[in-house]
Amino acid sequence: MNAAIEFAGVSKVYKRIFSEERVEALHDVSFSVPPGEVCAFLGPNGAGKTTSIGILMGFLFPNSGEVRVLGHEPGDVRAKAQIGFLPENFAFYRFLTGPKLLSLHLALSGRKVSDPFSLIAALLAQVKLSGYESLRISKYSRGMVQRLGVAQALIGDPQLLVFDEPTSGLDPAGRKEVLDLVHALKQAGKTVFLSSHILPEVEQICDRVVIIDRGRLVRAGRLDEILGRSAKVEIVVDQVSEEAAQALAERGAQIDRSGDGVVRVLVESAAKRETAEMLWASGSDVVRLNPLHNSLEGVFLNLVGGGK
Amino acid sequence: MKLRSLAWITFVSFFRNKLIILFFAVFLGVILLFMTPLLTFKSMATDNPAQVQAMIVSMLSLISSMVSGFGSLLAAWAAADAVAAEMRSGTIMAVMARPVRRWEFLLGKYLGVEMLMLVYVAFMVIVMYVLAWIAGQRLVTNPWVLVVYPMVRYSLYAAIATWMVTFMHSILAFVVVLIWSALANLVSPGSGGGRWIPEALRRGLYYVLPSADLLSESSFLSITAAALKQRPWTEHLTALAYGLDYALVCFLLAAWTFRRRSLARE
Repeated sequence: MNAAIEFAGVSKVYKRIFSEERVEALHDVSFSVPPGEVCAFLGPNGAGKTTSIGILMGFLFPNSGEVRVLGHEPGDVRAKAQIGFLPENFAFYRFLTGPKLLSLHLALSGRKVSDPFSLIAALLAQVKLSGYESLRISKYSRGMVQRLGVAQALIGDPQLLVFDEPTSGLDPAGRKEVLDLVHALKQAGKTVFLSSHILPEVEQICDRVVIIDRGRLVRAGRLDEILGRSAKVEIVVDQVSEEAAQALAERGAQIDRSGDGVVRVLVESAAKRETAEMLWASGSDVVRLNPLHNSLEGVFLNLVGGGK
Repeated sequence: MKLRSLAWITFVSFFRNKLIILFFAVFLGVILLFMTPLLTFKSMATDNPAQVQAMIVSMLSLISSMVSGFGSLLAAWAAADAVAAEMRSGTIMAVMARPVRRWEFLLGKYLGVEMLMLVYVAFMVIVMYVLAWIAGQRLVTNPWVLVVYPMVRYSLYAAIATWMVTFMHSILAFVVVLIWSALANLVSPGSGGGRWIPEALRRGLYYVLPSADLLSESSFLSITAAALKQRPWTEHLTALAYGLDYALVCFLLAAWTFRRRSLARE
């Protein structure tokens, strides 16, 4: 099956007219996103995410490489007819009301619906903007604008959604709503390509991750492949005697007594059974045994060096 | 449907544009300012009514030229700003993410400018009739020429500005159109100025720049006579076709330069 998004050796250099100054925004970036997946596009500020999304949407042109979106060139109206896009810091015609803006975007999307008013009302309800139909966008809060942006992205019933920082400006409840929406879109078989800085939330919903840093691809692949399996296990016990602690230290285990009334013993996965039995034998009560996972945030910080 | 929506949102946006509102306010102010001497001349008790009449007619002619010139400025500025404002605010990102081709976007913007200019021309015609009536003159003409000629002229200036703004800043594009228009007036055979320009260059510029004579109301309407000069319809057709052709060429150039323009927020 064709990929929904395909970048092959894409490079982009910004040049100033009448100047020798060159900024390499992207260098030989290649990745692909299969249809029906949620792909998180990650990178520190200035990594080239917005440039990549600009190229994907046909706003910018790469200096080299090839990009295909839903089997077409970026900017091709056949591709754009199937894309819903939410730019970062979405700008609207501020004198319009929410329903009028959605009506404009429905007309521009070319989608034919028998009852546009019902569709618009349903979308406004979906993003919790019902009751504000007569309010001009200039009076909206940042969160309301962002939710309206999500609604306009959905109005053409797109196959591919490109969200640039969709949870920006939203409160925790709003962020959860957007993430639930992304999850629902995934269930409906849509492809979602989203950039975000809120990694723990992204980790909950994405299937695939693309990480770039300073214009170069750092890692791309399925989330489970990227996170991998940690080789460590955490054994939570009620207490550890001094003798047992000494024996554990000799075996290379780490002991953390900072927990609230419990002690955490971190050991290699291969030694978990032996360690747990030794703790039982020394009089400790084993409360939990947790296999440790890498977090997306941890992997991201390792790969991009904490953004430094 | 897409073009209509783009044209309509462009047209509606103009009425939220502070500069355009200021432009209309200045326009109204100037008209009111010129009404004062007009009314003074009219109420003047004199032994020489022919002389007063001549002053009134000359004042009317001046107002007519000014209103018409204002329109050219408005058309150029509105066209340049219509595209540039979308780039400045970032609204272009949401619009161009839709299945809208780049030339369709430009055409939508251009049609929005034409809608604004139609309102202006309607307003201008009304002002001219009212002023002529106040001055005791009668404009013996078909209203269509008073509408179509300026519309074609403004379409031409709007197209040039649309082209310019696809590769330069809106203020610069506006200035270039102003210079372009001033040069066109200078090199026109009817103009007394520009004699210092070498003949070959003058002739070249005359062919390249939009003709100031052909689309001017003065070619068919004389306020002094307050009547339409008799001209065969083929002459009207040629003049209008010239203007539309020039506008089309400029628009096509705009579409060509805009097709590879980066659409990042400015």
